[in-house]
Amino acid sequence: MTGAAQLLEVQNLSVAYRQGSGWSRAVDDVSFSLRAGEVFGLVGESGCGKSTIALQLLGYRHLSMRVEHGDVLFKGQSLTSMSRGELDTLRGDRIAFVPQNPTTALNPGIRIGRQVAETMLAHGRIQSLESTAAISGILKLVRLPADPVFQRRYPHQLSGGQQQRVCIAMALACDPDLLVLDEPTTGLDVTTQEQIISLLSELRGRIGVAMLYVTHDLALLSQIADRIGVMYAGRMVEIAPTDEIFLRPRHPYTQGLIASIPVIGEPSASRSRPLRGLLRRRELPSGCPFAPRCDHALDRCATERQELQSIDDNRAVACWRWREIAPIAATPNSATMAGAIAHRASVLSVDHVSVVYGPRSRGFRAVSDVSFDIKEGEVFALVGESGSGKSTLARAISGLTAPSTGTVRLRGEELAGAVRDRSDQQRRLIQYIFQNPDASLNPRARIGEAIARPLVHFFKMDGAKARATVVGALDDVRLDGSYQERFPDQLSGGERQRVAIARALAAKPALLLCDEILSALDVSVQANILTLLQQLKSEHAIAMLFISHDLAVVRFLADHVCVLYGGEVMEIGPREQVFAPPFHPYTHSLLHAVPVPLQRPDRPSKASKAAEPKRSGAGCVYAGRCPWQIGSICETERPPWREGRGGLGLRCHLTLEQLNARADWPPPKQEGIAV
Amino acid sequence: MSVGQATTQTPRRYHLLWGQTPQSFRIGLVILLVHLIVAITGPFWAPYGFSQMGAGIPLSGMSWAHPFGIDQLGRDVFSRVVHGSHIVILLSLSGTAIGLLVGAVLGLLSGYLGGWFDNLLQRLLEALISIPFLVLALIAIASAGPELSGNPILVVLVVALVYAPRIARIARAAAMDIATRDYVTVARLRGESAWSVMRRELLPNATGVLLVEFALRAGYAPVLVGSLGFLGFGLRPPTPEWGLMISENRALIIITPITVLGPGLALASLVVGLNLFTEGLARILGRTVRLGTQ
Repeated sequence: MTGAAQLLEVQNLSVAYRQGSGWSRAVDDVSFSLRAGEVFGLVGESGCGKSTIALQLLGYRHLSMRVEHGDVLFKGQSLTSMSRGELDTLRGDRIAFVPQNPTTALNPGIRIGRQVAETMLAHGRIQSLESTAAISGILKLVRLPADPVFQRRYPHQLSGGQQQRVCIAMALACDPDLLVLDEPTTGLDVTTQEQIISLLSELRGRIGVAMLYVTHDLALLSQIADRIGVMYAGRMVEIAPTDEIFLRPRHPYTQGLIASIPVIGEPSASRSRPLRGLLRRRELPSGCPFAPRCDHALDRCATERQELQSIDDNRAVACWRWREIAPIAATPNSATMAGAIAHRASVLSVDHVSVVYGPRSRGFRAVSDVSFDIKEGEVFALVGESGSGKSTLARAISGLTAPSTGTVRLRGEELAGAVRDRSDQQRRLIQYIFQNPDASLNPRARIGEAIARPLVHFFKMDGAKARATVVGALDDVRLDGSYQERFPDQLSGGERQRVAIARALAAKPALLLCDEILSALDVSVQANILTLLQQLKSEHAIAMLFISHDLAVVRFLADHVCVLYGGEVMEIGPREQVFAPPFHPYTHSLLHAVPVPLQRPDRPSKASKAAEPKRSGAGCVYAGRCPWQIGSICETERPPWREGRGGLGLRCHLTLEQLNARADWPPPKQEGIAV
Repeated sequence: MSVGQATTQTPRRYHLLWGQTPQSFRIGLVILLVHLIVAITGPFWAPYGFSQMGAGIPLSGMSWAHPFGIDQLGRDVFSRVVHGSHIVILLSLSGTAIGLLVGAVLGLLSGYLGGWFDNLLQRLLEALISIPFLVLALIAIASAGPELSGNPILVVLVVALVYAPRIARIARAAAMDIATRDYVTVARLRGESAWSVMRRELLPNATGVLLVEFALRAGYAPVLVGSLGFLGFGLRPPTPEWGLMISENRALIIITPITVLGPGLALASLVVGLNLFTEGLARILGRTVRLGTQ
């Protein structure tokens, strides 16, 4: 393998962006290489420079950006000194790009067949835009229907997964040598993500294209990459084969990154050393950029620059102490408190709630006939892919969208449908925390004002008293009191989310509605917020409705889990029961879709059929996509509700025994994995 | 867990440094300062009075003694421009400011509340906007009655009436955009009144849009005031209002172009200065410029 020719070489690359009057370095002296047919993963937190490198592989140039040093060689040719014309013949033909967001990458006004054909036409692969045979060949390659009807569709008529397949098809249209993928699955559901990943690994086997895969998700990378480069603050801190990264991470940052990944196979495992702090570009030392956050840092680290050194044939690490730092070891699980919850009083009960958008008889049923109870101090998780009705349900509980039928009760009192008809007390007891902390804080209000507002509004506090309370509220979320003078744009994403949590806690709520509050954050920040939530749960005994698509996080935090599909409850029960057989077929495919470090999908994806949920008529909403479908009964008859052990309930035509027999999760564990 | 360690650093202090303000802000500020100094001190140093005749030979052109020439009645145009400065600035700014206040409140509430209130108000405003603004101004002045004619307060109110509907539409568009943000939803969930949401959440975030709108309108207001004067419905001669002066000297533009260009230049520089300044200010207030750290 080492003898193979280098397809791509990045040599001592430094890239800077214009910032005010000066230049700030986003990529600092990075070198790595890629062999033909190899998949190289580039991983790091936001702002580490990984996307900048990806763009350099395409010879991207911009007025506010400059390559200060180094070069990118593709088959020996320098991409940084190539003329625009030469780049144009190379890009799309030999090097192709798959963007993060297919919805904005595809032109909404052009039929997809034509969009794919345009690339081929530009590089002389076909003679006219009408050559449907060539287009259908490429669509088949990415497992899309190849018929002319499909080719005449517009992007908005496709699902997100199909759109990303079209983008991949466009990238593969000219049979390139190198595919650059920038977070290609970040915006997709976990089941769709699994399909895209298995498509990519299949393509790689079939057509032998090399890939540079940029992502923040290390677990995902382990499923596809041969080698992984870990970046921190613009520097490459470690390069190693995938297995080595997970089994024996050498750099303290890699170790922290791996420890921060919630792993679905190990519930409630509080890991040894998740990363602390966060990357502050303004305060980097002259030496190792990771020194301020490193547990192993010595004085020497802050002043002496760490170069990437080869430590054996195919690994390199930028840390002079790598020999002394022991690979991380897992610590025992923390105790769970699930058992005690059953006897507590209910805070919120949702009773046969449906939400229909549009006219009631033929409108869109976003949520249909959902019932559950949330007890005091319980974390209740709602799980499902986008469009499953999770957020709609949270909006119905908060009063932003009135339920069409059914009732919501708070501590036994029935709540009015619309928030303006509820009492101040009821509004105070339910607090909503949003997904995106950038949007949930008023950019023109200081942090102190934002947190003081609920105090003044609900408790009629005066200025001085509110200020004193704000310090306490900030302390609750482990932020310093001095933060109240700042504006939101002076905070990092994780800090902003803490402020949003502090603001919600200031109202002394009985129930927190947490709507995907971790998904906009980096993995190390996620781990810190998760720990914070865990602490709040035990300190304040607040109930939480925790909406997430991340089953690993849910398994870590939740006491009770409810799985939604197409607006209906598929399965509900205590965490231990939901994450153990018998599984509902949908839960089962969700669990299988979660990337687990070093466990590659060895068989075709379970959720291979991407169909829309059936929202009308008889039968099961999951029919048509269900891998365990037993026949026409699924299409025609609504499945019965089955009650299992320990409060588990699920809706399926298969009996619990049959489901039990089909379950094969968790997959057998591999030995020696450090995570 | 080491969550606390992450955040115990002392916060950075933010200062606005002159060198980091947008260039448009700096240029605009300088132009505006010149105008303000002229407006305040002008009456004390202007070479002639604003209605003093016989300052020179009527219709003479540019010279050192009379930079903007002499008008038909033998008045020094430069002195008249200097004397008129405070009138123009005062009338335009106060008229636009009242229009901004009324328009912003109506527009923001309309955009946030939606529903029948929004519908009704928008139809009303559309009706007002559909009338050409000069016609609207004349209708307003005519209905105010003859005894108020020529009164500066009436001119100010007319400017406000003409601008308020247009500003309200911009404010409404801004409010509709801001109203979808999560922080507004948070305020709604808290049960805040529409007034409170408007004041705390919408207004501070719409300042950028509103200030730019203010600048554009304020820049055109002197022209509106002048047009009214020209038609005999604004200020009366011999008030040295620039628009009025332009229309007075307009007929003689072929003989002494400088008597029109002079006040025109003053008007143009005020408009440009106002626009640059408020645009820069909007960027600073909108926190889109990078502020210095110390």
